[in-house]
Amino acid sequence: MKCVIGGAHLRVFGRAIHAIARISDEFWFDPLEKGLALRSVNSSRSAYAYVFFSSMFFQHYCWTALPQPRQKEKQLSPPCKVIIKSVLPVFRCVNVLERNVEKCSIYTNINDHHITFQLLCKHGVVKTYNLTFQECDPLQAVFAKHMCPNVLKVHSRLLADIVIHFPTSQEEVTLSVTPMKVCFKSYTEEDTDFSKTMLTEVQLNPDEFDYFQVGVDSEVTFCLKELRGLLAFSEATSVPVSIHFDISGKPVAFSIEDLVLEASFILATLSDIEKETTSQQPPSFTPWQESLETHTEKAGNASMDKDSSTQANASKKPQRNGKTPSAEPAKPASPLVKQERKVIPGATEGDTTGVEGTTTAHAALAGESHYEKFHSLFFGAVSCKEDAVSHTFHSLATASDSEEDFGNVPSSPVV
Amino acid sequence: MPLSAQPPGSAEPYLLTASLDNARHLSSLLRAVHFQDHATCFATVNGLRVTVEDAKCVQANAFIQAEIFQEFAVQEQTVTFRINLSVLLDCLTIFGTSSLPGTSTALRMCYRGYGYPLMLFLEEGGVVTVCKINTQEPEDLLDFDFCSTKVVNKIILQSEGLRKAFAELDMTSEVMQITMSPDKPYFRLSTFGNAGSAHLDYSKDSDLIEAFHCNQTQTNRYKISLLKPSTKALALSCKVSIRTDAQGFLSLQYMIRNEDGQICFVEYYCCPDENITEEMLRSSCVSLVFTCRDPTTAIWICEDG
Repeated sequence: MKCVIGGAHLRVFGRAIHAIARISDEFWFDPLEKGLALRSVNSSRSAYAYVFFSSMFFQHYCWTALPQPRQKEKQLSPPCKVIIKSVLPVFRCVNVLERNVEKCSIYTNINDHHITFQLLCKHGVVKTYNLTFQECDPLQAVFAKHMCPNVLKVHSRLLADIVIHFPTSQEEVTLSVTPMKVCFKSYTEEDTDFSKTMLTEVQLNPDEFDYFQVGVDSEVTFCLKELRGLLAFSEATSVPVSIHFDISGKPVAFSIEDLVLEASFILATLSDIEKETTSQQPPSFTPWQESLETHTEKAGNASMDKDSSTQANASKKPQRNGKTPSAEPAKPASPLVKQERKVIPGATEGDTTGVEGTTTAHAALAGESHYEKFHSLFFGAVSCKEDAVSHTFHSLATASDSEEDFGNVPSSPVV
Repeated sequence: MPLSAQPPGSAEPYLLTASLDNARHLSSLLRAVHFQDHATCFATVNGLRVTVEDAKCVQANAFIQAEIFQEFAVQEQTVTFRINLSVLLDCLTIFGTSSLPGTSTALRMCYRGYGYPLMLFLEEGGVVTVCKINTQEPEDLLDFDFCSTKVVNKIILQSEGLRKAFAELDMTSEVMQITMSPDKPYFRLSTFGNAGSAHLDYSKDSDLIEAFHCNQTQTNRYKISLLKPSTKALALSCKVSIRTDAQGFLSLQYMIRNEDGQICFVEYYCCPDENITEEMLRSSCVSLVFTCRDPTTAIWICEDG
C-alpha cells in the first residue's frame, strides 16, 4: 500500500491519530481497496474507534494486492497493528504540521514488516520513519447505528463548547435526553463527598441541534476522555458530529461523515443494574473483563491474573442458557439504582449473529467453541487467515504467553 | 558597578582577574556545557576556556574571549584549575536566573593560584555576594586534535534546522548515526529505536545549509546519551558547524550570540561508538590517537577554510 497525504489534510490525519491515541496504545492500520481504515479498541473493550479515509482523501492512493508466487489467489494486504507511541512522534505538533510539512507518504512493506512514513518538510528536509508492525487479524466492531432510537446531530464546535466546561479530571459525563431537552452533566459515584466536588450541568434546547430525534428518554453515561479526542479531530474536519444512542447500558456512538472520511467512536455506557442481578457474577468483574480473559489471554490487560480467569469461567456457567442479568431492554433507566458494575456495554439477549450480542452469553459460547472465533460484546471479528502472527515487535505493555492455539486471535507480541 | 582590582594591602597579585558587567554572558555559556559536575578552567591572554568531559568519549568546551570581559588579566601563560561547575553556576546565578531587561549581575572573578579558591564577587542592585569556591588539581584531558587539514567532511547549518530534530530524537535509540556524503543523502541523522528507525535528511541545496564541503561518504555512529547534552548549546546558538575526520571523530561547533551581540563559541567533540552491530556496520575500526597541544586556542573555521 502506498499513499500520499497533502499538506492541508495532514492536520486532519494527525488529529485522527491523536484521537485514536486517547483510546489505546496501539491501533490497527488497515489498508483497503477503497481507502485506509484505522481502528483501535481499548484494553477493557469499552471504547472502539474507527476512522476511514477514502482514497479521495489522499493525493495519491495505491492499494495493490500483492501477488504471491506460491498462492493461486492474490494475497490481500493484511491489516497491521502498530503501537501508537511510535507513530505519535511523526505527527507531533499537529498544528504546525501544515506549515512545515508539504506532504506525507506512507508505504507498507509487508515482507519487511515495516510501515514507512516519509514527511517532506520545508527547507529541503525529509523525515523518514520506519516503524515495525505486527500482522494481525482484522478488528471490527459491529454496532447497528440505524437501530438507535435517539439521534442527535450537532456541530463539533458546540460539543467542544459544552465539553470545555467539564474539568479535565472529570472522567465520566452523563447525557440525558427527553423530547424537550438535552442535558450534559458530570457523573459522580454515589459515595462521592458532594461538599468537595464540583458538578457541572449544561442544558440545551432541541433547536440547538442540527438534527434531533429522541425515541426514548434516556440517560447514558460514558467516558469523557475518549470523546475529547474525537472532538479535536472533528474540529479539524469541521464536519458535524452525530450521536446515536439508546438506553443506558447500550453503547453510544459518536460519528462524523463526509465525502472523504468517516469516523466512529463507540463508547460503552454505564448500565443501571439492580443489585440482585449482579450477585451472579463476582463483583470485581465485568463481563468485558471476562470475555477479554477468555479470548485474549492477558493481551493488553496486564492487570488480570491467572486466577481470575478460572473464576470467570466458573461464573459464566449460570448464564449459559438464560438471559444475562443486564439483558432487560424494557427496563426503564433508573438513575438512583446503585450501579455495581462499571462500563458495561449494552447487552441484549439472544442475537448472537453479532449485531449486539450478549456479553456473557457470548463469552459462554466462545468458551464452548474453544476460541474458534474472537468475540466480545460488539466485535464480530471475521478471521480470514490461519497464519501465525509474526512477532516482530517489542512491546512494553503486553504479556506474551498464550497457551491455547490462538491462531485466529490477535496475540501479544513476544518481548 | 565595577569593584576594585585587588583587595587593598595584598602583596601577591592574583594570577587571574576578570570583570564582567553581565554575569549572564558567562553563565549561559557554562550552562551549555554543564553535563557533568566538574569542569577544568584554562585562562590565557586570549580568554577563558571551560572544559567538561564524560567517559573519555565526549568533551565540551566553552570559550569566552578576553574581549567579552570588561577586564581580563592573567599573570602567567596559562592558569589552570579544576572546579565544581554546578557550584560555580549556582554562584553566578545567585541573584536568580530570570533575565529582566535592564538588570544584570556584575561579576568579578579572582584566582590567586594553585591551592587557592576561586573568588567571585557578584553584585546586583547594590547587594554584594562573595563566593569562594575550592579548586582542585586539573586532570588530563583528551585532545581531539581537530585541525582544518584533518577534516574530511564539513557542513555549516543554521541551528534552527537542527533544533527540532535534536529535541525530537528518539531516545530509545542507543546511537545517533550521522551520514555525510557528496552524494545522496548528503546529510542524514538516523536513530534506531524500539519502534523502528528514523532518518532526517537534509538536502545539500537546503537553505538551512550555509556551507557544504563533503569529500567522502562517511557514516558514523555516536552514543546518543553523549550527544544529547549538546542540545543545550544548540538551543543557544545561531549556527553550527559539523565536522568529521578520517577516524570518524565528530566536532560540533556552535556560534552563540550573547545579549550584547558578541560572539562566543561552544564546541563538542565526540568519539564514534565502537559497538558496531551487524545492521549498522559501515566504516572500518577506529583507532584513537591523542597528541598534546596548547589547550586554550579556539579556531572558528570559516566557510572558506
